[in-house]
Amino acid sequence: MPKVTIDGKEIEVAQGTSVIQAAELAGVRVPRFCYHDDLPVDGNCRMCMVEIEKFPKLQIACGTPVTDGMVVKTQVTSPKAKEAQKNTLEFLLVNHPIDCPVCDQAGECYLQDQYMDNGLHDSRTVLEEKIHKRKVVDIGPIMLDAERCVVCSRCIRYEREVTKTNLLEFVNRGGSTQISTYNGGPITHEYAGNLVDVCPVGALLSKDFRFKMRVWFLKETDSICPGCSTGCNITIDHRDGEAYRIRPRRNVEVNKSWICDPGRDLYKIIGTGRVTTAHRAGGAVVAQSDLIDEVVSKLQSAGPSSAFLATPRASNEDAYAFKKLAESVGGRLDFRVGNPQDKVAVRKDQILQREDRHPNTQGLLNLGLGVTGVDALLADCKAGKVQVLVLQDGGLLREAAVAEAAKNVAYVVAIATHQGPHLAAAHAVIPAAVWAETDGTFTNFDQRVQRFKRAFDPPGDAKPRWEIALDLLTRLGKPVNAATAADVFVEMAVETKAYADLTHRSLGPKGRAAAQASA
Amino acid sequence: MPSMQALERDQALTKPAYRILSEKFGEKVSRVTEYRGDLAITVDRAAWKEAARTLRDHPELDYKLFLDLCGVDYLNDESRPDRFEVALHLYSVTHKHHIRLKTAVPEKNPTCDSLTDIYKGANWFEREAFDLYGIAFLGHPNLTRILTHDDFVGHAMRKDFPTGKRFVSKKPKEWLLHVPKGSEHLVLNVGPSHPAMHGTFRVQVLLDGETIRDAAAEIGYLHRNFEKMAEERTYWQIIPYTDRLNYCSAFINGHGWALAVEKLLGVAAPARAEAIRVILSEFSRIMDHLVCISTNVVDLGAITPFFVVFRAREEIYDLLDSVCGARLTVSYVRIGGVAQDVPDDFDARCRKTLGWIREVADQMENLLTRNKIFADRFKDVGVMSKEDALSYGWVGPCLRGSGVGYDIRKDHPYSGYDQYDFDVPVGTVGDCYDRYLVRVEEIKQSARIIEQALAKLPKGDFITHDRKVALPPKSEVYSNIESLMNHFKLVYDGILAEPGEVYGYCEGANGELGYYIVSEGKKYPTRVKVRPPCYNIYQAYPEMIKGTMIADAVAMIGGLNVVAGELDR
Amino acid sequence: MATSVITVNRDTRPGYYPIFYGMWLTLRNMLETLFVKGRSATIEYPEKKRNISTRYRGVHLLTAREDGTPKCVACYMCATVCPAECIYIEAGERPEKKIEKYPTRFEIDLLRCVYCGFCVDACPEEAILMSRENDLVGTSRAELVIDRENLMHRGKLAEVGTGYRPVDHDVRRPVRVAALERLKSEHGIVPGMPNRS
Repeated sequence: MPKVTIDGKEIEVAQGTSVIQAAELAGVRVPRFCYHDDLPVDGNCRMCMVEIEKFPKLQIACGTPVTDGMVVKTQVTSPKAKEAQKNTLEFLLVNHPIDCPVCDQAGECYLQDQYMDNGLHDSRTVLEEKIHKRKVVDIGPIMLDAERCVVCSRCIRYEREVTKTNLLEFVNRGGSTQISTYNGGPITHEYAGNLVDVCPVGALLSKDFRFKMRVWFLKETDSICPGCSTGCNITIDHRDGEAYRIRPRRNVEVNKSWICDPGRDLYKIIGTGRVTTAHRAGGAVVAQSDLIDEVVSKLQSAGPSSAFLATPRASNEDAYAFKKLAESVGGRLDFRVGNPQDKVAVRKDQILQREDRHPNTQGLLNLGLGVTGVDALLADCKAGKVQVLVLQDGGLLREAAVAEAAKNVAYVVAIATHQGPHLAAAHAVIPAAVWAETDGTFTNFDQRVQRFKRAFDPPGDAKPRWEIALDLLTRLGKPVNAATAADVFVEMAVETKAYADLTHRSLGPKGRAAAQASA
Repeated sequence: MPSMQALERDQALTKPAYRILSEKFGEKVSRVTEYRGDLAITVDRAAWKEAARTLRDHPELDYKLFLDLCGVDYLNDESRPDRFEVALHLYSVTHKHHIRLKTAVPEKNPTCDSLTDIYKGANWFEREAFDLYGIAFLGHPNLTRILTHDDFVGHAMRKDFPTGKRFVSKKPKEWLLHVPKGSEHLVLNVGPSHPAMHGTFRVQVLLDGETIRDAAAEIGYLHRNFEKMAEERTYWQIIPYTDRLNYCSAFINGHGWALAVEKLLGVAAPARAEAIRVILSEFSRIMDHLVCISTNVVDLGAITPFFVVFRAREEIYDLLDSVCGARLTVSYVRIGGVAQDVPDDFDARCRKTLGWIREVADQMENLLTRNKIFADRFKDVGVMSKEDALSYGWVGPCLRGSGVGYDIRKDHPYSGYDQYDFDVPVGTVGDCYDRYLVRVEEIKQSARIIEQALAKLPKGDFITHDRKVALPPKSEVYSNIESLMNHFKLVYDGILAEPGEVYGYCEGANGELGYYIVSEGKKYPTRVKVRPPCYNIYQAYPEMIKGTMIADAVAMIGGLNVVAGELDR
Repeated sequence: MATSVITVNRDTRPGYYPIFYGMWLTLRNMLETLFVKGRSATIEYPEKKRNISTRYRGVHLLTAREDGTPKCVACYMCATVCPAECIYIEAGERPEKKIEKYPTRFEIDLLRCVYCGFCVDACPEEAILMSRENDLVGTSRAELVIDRENLMHRGKLAEVGTGYRPVDHDVRRPVRVAALERLKSEHGIVPGMPNRS
């Protein structure tokens, strides 16, 4: 493996690493516009100039592979490189509009950041001489502003290499070069949001996020997309308990730097139509504690003639606690409504999405939650053999089979996140938190266990599902020794082979593979 | 890269404090740094107390003046094995040197030896660190909460204590003193709301006739945790908060803050800005002294000086209004300069104001200095010895009244004070009368400084051009993208300081006003500790009044110039 | 400069003269206040108002474009810099492509505000200024949370005038000056404030 010295620090990197990547490993971020970790190198922006010994001229760090014994000086130690970067930045700004006040990119703009880090030059341009281009162009889910573009071609390469749709191209020449869709038509695929993320400046901006919030107010929380069994790594951006957007978080083994647009939209479900108080059928609000006591007494009297339906939307911790609950009263337990297990690894498209629209089907399979057989369970319900039916997700009542079966059950308990007419079938509704409001883990189609973190508190009286299940267990006299989701994971790891040597901490930000050969 | 790295051993040995401590404690002296001229020595907890004693007693060191002691919470710094740190700031009047002594305190067992029998002033500071950080000081005579009340749960300055969490005090503390059962003595509360109290703080005295047998003070009524707020503000945003510290001379607080941050950043303000700062600081000092003296004599029944001097104070306020845009809450300094240039009629206004000051200062002197009633009430009342004053950490006019000629403007000139010719008055006895005379003389010296500064007010910029520190001029922001981006980054990211820590100080109206700033390289400071001069001064008050007459206690309090905004922060 | 420490003179030989001086001074001040014009330190408020400076930081103002719409583009700079967190903004879209954005809501909680003027410093559009209005009265807390319309049309503005606002002291950098001169000589253009409306 080649050894390279970057700003006096020697490191060993893999064959084929570029200088820009090696510098990053050495803790130096070389400024860039066109270079992107998950896109092919183009080398057009000339921002990442570094000084390399034995090269007569400065080289671009992104397009120069490391060779053994290379000595690189970045802008940190080389005044020449710093000057070159400064000059490049000044050129890029020649025609840049005075748009920071109205530009949503402000706060995460490469121009702003790199100006502050390396530029700090005085302006030599005047407003009246700037070239004007198209502004506020609506191209579907994206707003295009060609004046702000630095012509780095990241979006074009994304279209060419990732979605293979080739919807964007450069038009015109020289200072008038700008990006455009064909005839100004819209972006039609389901991965348009990533264009906003790859754009280093404010040329491509999200229409959904447009003018909603300034990004510097937002707090970031690492999370996992609950949209399908792929388990893309995401960041939830939120402020004061309200989520404003979802962005991809880079994980080369799962989703690289991308997520799909349906996944991006999932932040909207967090704040709308939530169940915030415990209530009975018809909406009569009751104290949560009283309702849980009632559920406990019903479960105690029902015993084995109770049934439990889990949901593959729940985290591993939720599912484990729910399983414990079912076992404690000896009730029937399953989750496979609509047979998600058959689709868990089936691709929906060639990029990221999968047919199974649940994040944790594999996790529930690992935990052995599919025992009774869901058809048999529902049939028993229909036949009136079940006295108490506990639904881990109120949304299950939207399924015709479940709704039909629930009609003949004397007491239906729904742990629900969202309101809706379907909840009328439940005799007791307990408010639950969604994924963004609790800690937990999902196991994706590929047996990768990934951790998501609590971004903010659940609304009203809502609690995480694992907490509700633990509460019920405590009142049933069979407490589980766990106070946090991490504790539940530890308990689960003891019993579940697949997670035997894992903890929340050891999963790290990018997750780890579960041990095979369980379930 | 930041120079907060430890000094090499041979370099460290050139520092007498390190040499002597390491000779005595060997390996227990774990680290020595010098950052922006601040010498900081870290010792093990076991050596903490003896190290402090050595610093005080060793003739080569002679760090007799106790300045500050505070806790720091490094919750987010994973490179540190211990969560807390206690930092002690000392000053050697003979060697003119500041030093910071630190020790790490683990989260599991947050205890540390008390320094109360080495420095009298440590008492309240340790109580404060206990109150706000939960660090227990072993051997402290009275380790109770001081700034928050007894119904408060948790320790407010800990990083994991949520900002904005409040507790309502349901029952104020009734007894500060221990009164023996069956005692015939009268317990009297002076304050928190009492005409003879200069702000909302309280003293409870035990009276035997008119003689005070015992006394105890309670503070914290105006506590708003400035330091916690500062941990969630950028360096720039903290400026308006500093106006509310010593509100009698609000400008000096901001001046001190700007100096401390500039020290942390390693930038300097242009000469014109410094001269403007000096002029306004001196006017503020005059105003503070005038208020101090006149309210002090109101306590003695003399109302005339009060009305007389307020005429000049009004003129100073008008001057501040014309320059800063507000009379009291000036918010005029900026990191690296001042907010805008002075108005065209600045010179004329200043001279007119100086005229008023001279007039009323003369009148005040004629009214008081040779007044028999006044002199009888002040002479030999509230005597503070030199040694005790240093041990308590008295600074400013009060310390100078006790005969120690320590004035930062002279001993560590900042903002170009070395260009001006002025004298430092000191007293001989250390009583109320000396403190009064020192203040009167300082008013005259301040006027001298202002005249010199006005005469050679330099032309040029009023704020630095450093784009990492100061906002670009508005014409640039409106018309070019570089300055606009610069402006945006400075507003939403604030000024970014390298990781490091400094103790910045200036001569406030009450004495050394210090800001201990710890930066971890983030948008917000990790720790801001204000060293409020009157915190040390007021601390001595209950001890001073024991055994005196109640009327003398009233005469003493005004001259100490305790300002609750600064005392309670 | 060498330290010049002077010892104050305690030997003042106190007597009773200052008491009579005080009486005389009070009488003189009283007579002067009554009969010498401009000598009085007090005014008859509220009939007369103090003469406050043109930099005074009073209640805020939002400036308007020529068409009467707010100049503000809802960039949130003021809300970001505000140490008291008293500014609340919601942004909306304008049809004009040159402006794009404007505040659909803009509220300042004047009870939280510390009148530091940082919002004026932070504004990149000269959209927020301060007036000299300082006698603010309300009968409820809600009344003193003032909205966009109220900020654009402060009733007392004509009477009190504007206070703190950005002043350009023309500290332009030399390269900028050169660029502007080139523009003037080559194109005959003298740039002022960018015309955004």
